[in-house]
Amino acid sequence: MTMPGDQTLSRTAITASNVTRQYLGGTFTAVDDVSMELRENEIVCFIGPSGCGKTTMLRMIAGLEYPSMGDLTIFDKPITGPGPDRGMIFQAYTSFPWLTARKNIEYGMKIMGLSRQERSRRSDEFLTLVHLDDFGDSYPASLSGGMKQRVAIARTLAQNPGVLLMDEPFGALDAQVRWEMQEMMIEIIERENTTVVTVTHDIQEAIYLSDRIIFFTRSPGRIKADIPVSFKEGRRIPRKEEMLALPGYVDLERQLFAMMREEIQQK
Amino acid sequence: MIRLRRRNGEDVNQVARRSVSLFELRTVLSGRTSLLLGLAGATGFFIIWEVGHYITPEESQRFLPAPQEVLGALITLIVEKDYIADILKSCFRIFASFFAACLIAVPLGIAMGCFMRLRALLNPTISAFRYLPAASFIPLLLVWFGPTDTQKLALLVLGVIFFLVALILDNTKAVQPELIEAALTMGAGRRRVVTEVVVPAVAPAVVDSMRNMIAVGWTYLVIAEIVAASDGIGAVMMRAGRFLKVDIIMAGILTIGILGVATDILFRLAARYAFPWNRERGE
Ligand SMILES: Nc1ncnc2c1ncn2[C@@H]1O[C@H](COP(=O)(O)OP(=O)(O)O)[C@@H](O)[C@H]1O
Ligand SMILES: [Mg+2]
Repeated sequence: MTMPGDQTLSRTAITASNVTRQYLGGTFTAVDDVSMELRENEIVCFIGPSGCGKTTMLRMIAGLEYPSMGDLTIFDKPITGPGPDRGMIFQAYTSFPWLTARKNIEYGMKIMGLSRQERSRRSDEFLTLVHLDDFGDSYPASLSGGMKQRVAIARTLAQNPGVLLMDEPFGALDAQVRWEMQEMMIEIIERENTTVVTVTHDIQEAIYLSDRIIFFTRSPGRIKADIPVSFKEGRRIPRKEEMLALPGYVDLERQLFAMMREEIQQK
Repeated sequence: MIRLRRRNGEDVNQVARRSVSLFELRTVLSGRTSLLLGLAGATGFFIIWEVGHYITPEESQRFLPAPQEVLGALITLIVEKDYIADILKSCFRIFASFFAACLIAVPLGIAMGCFMRLRALLNPTISAFRYLPAASFIPLLLVWFGPTDTQKLALLVLGVIFFLVALILDNTKAVQPELIEAALTMGAGRRRVVTEVVVPAVAPAVVDSMRNMIAVGWTYLVIAEIVAASDGIGAVMMRAGRFLKVDIIMAGILTIGILGVATDILFRLAARYAFPWNRERGE
C-alpha cells in the first residue's frame, strides 16, 4: 500500500516542462516557464492571486488549451487534446440540463461505450457516492447549485479518470455547502484513489484538500513555491475541524496568507 | 407594500393587506391573474373600438364597423363564401413555407454557430440578404414563377429565412461553452458534441426563435396574397377593399390575429411538452 502523496513509490502522473502560454499574439504571458511533476494519487492544489494563470495551467493539462512553448505529459504520453483520462470539473455548472441526474452520470460512460446494464449499475453507485440517491430522476433545473455540481462530479468520476482536474469547483457555492462538498470530496478521493489537481483561491480549502500546494506568482504566472502539506502527514482528514486542530495548521495558513499578500501588493 | 392594521382595529381578518398596483416592479403573477389581466386588456380594446364606432358620424360609420358587425361579416364569410377554404389555403402557405425555411435555417444556423470557418464563409452574405426587403422580390418572383402558389411560398421563405438563420446562429453562439468543453473532456468527438450537446442545449431557444419568426411570416402572407392571388385571407381582404367592404377587411384582420395567437400558443405548448427539463422552478 502506498501512502497518498508518497514521493518514492508512486508513478508520475503529469509532468510540465517549461510550459509557457501566451495570449494576444505573444504580447501577454499568462503562464511563464512552469515545470512541475505531479505524482499518482497525489492531491495538488494550484493557488495564487486572481488572474495569475491557474485556470490556464489547468486547461492546458485538460487539453482544452495548448502551451505556446514547453511540453505536457500524462503517464509519460504527451497531452495532445482533451480525453476521458483527465476528468474536468468547471466552476460553472456543467450538468446537462436536458438529462436527469442519472442520465447525466451515465453520459460519460455512454461515450466510453459501457453497456446499458453496466451504466445503470455504476450510476446507482455514483449517485450514492455523491449523496444524491433520491434525486436520480430529477433534472438539474430542480437541483440546488451544490447538487448540480455533485452531478457533474459523479459524471466525471464514473468514467474512472486517472486524473481529476477541478477549477474552483465550489467557488459558486455558499460557505456551508462548500464545506460539505470539501468533506465529500475527501471521502470520494480516498475511495476512488484518484489523482487530483484543483484550482482554488481559498487558502483553507487548499490546505484541507491537498497533499501539496503549488503557489503561483501574480501575472505572469510562475511557480512561487511548492509546499508539501506535511503537518497532515499524508492523511486525508474526513472532518475539517480535526484538521484545524492539528499543530502546524495555523503556521501553514499564516505562511500562505503572507505569500498571498506579497503577491497582491506587488504592482 | 405591507400595511399593518392596528391591533385594536375592527378588521381582524385582514391583518396584512397587500396594496395592488399596476406598476409594481417585476412581481410574480399567478396564472389566473395573468389571464384575467390579459382578458381585461382585450375587453378594453373592444370597448374602445365599440365607442369609436358610435362616436363616428353616421354617414362614415361603415368605415369603422362595430365589433359585432365584423363578427357578423366573419360568420357570413364562413357560411356563404367558403371562407374556411381561404383560411386553410393561407395556413397551408404559412406552414409549408415556414417548414421549408426551418428545414434549411435550423441546421444551417446551428452549423454556423459550431463551425467558425463556415460562419466566416456565409455570415456576411446572409446578413446582407436580411437588409433586402422581401417585398422587393415580388416582381422577380412573379417573372420566375408567375402568380402561382410557388411564387407565394418562395416569397414567404425569403421573408423569414435570413432572419431565422441569424437568430439561430445567435442562439447557438449563446450555448454555454463549458457544456461543450465538459463533453470534450469526457472524450466526446465532434459529431457527439454537435448532436448530443449543442442541439439539445440550443433547442428551446430555437423553438422560441421559430415562434417569433412565424409571426413575421404572417406579415408576409398578407403581402403575398394581396399581390396576384385569387384565394387566401389576403385575397379576400383585397377584394373586399375594392368594394369598400370594411367589415370584411376587418374580419380578415381579425382572422389573422386569431390564427397568429393560436400559432403562438401552439409553439409554447409544444416547447413545454418537448422540453420538460427547461421549466423554471415552481412554474
Ligand atoms: N483567451 C484568452 N485571451 C487573452 N487573455 C487570456 C485568455 N485566457 C486567459 N487570459 C489571461 O490570462 C491571465 C490568466 O488567466 P487565468 O488562467 O484565468 O487566471 P486565474 O485562473 O489564475 O485567475 C489573465 O490575465 C487572463 O486575462
Ligand atoms: Mg481561474
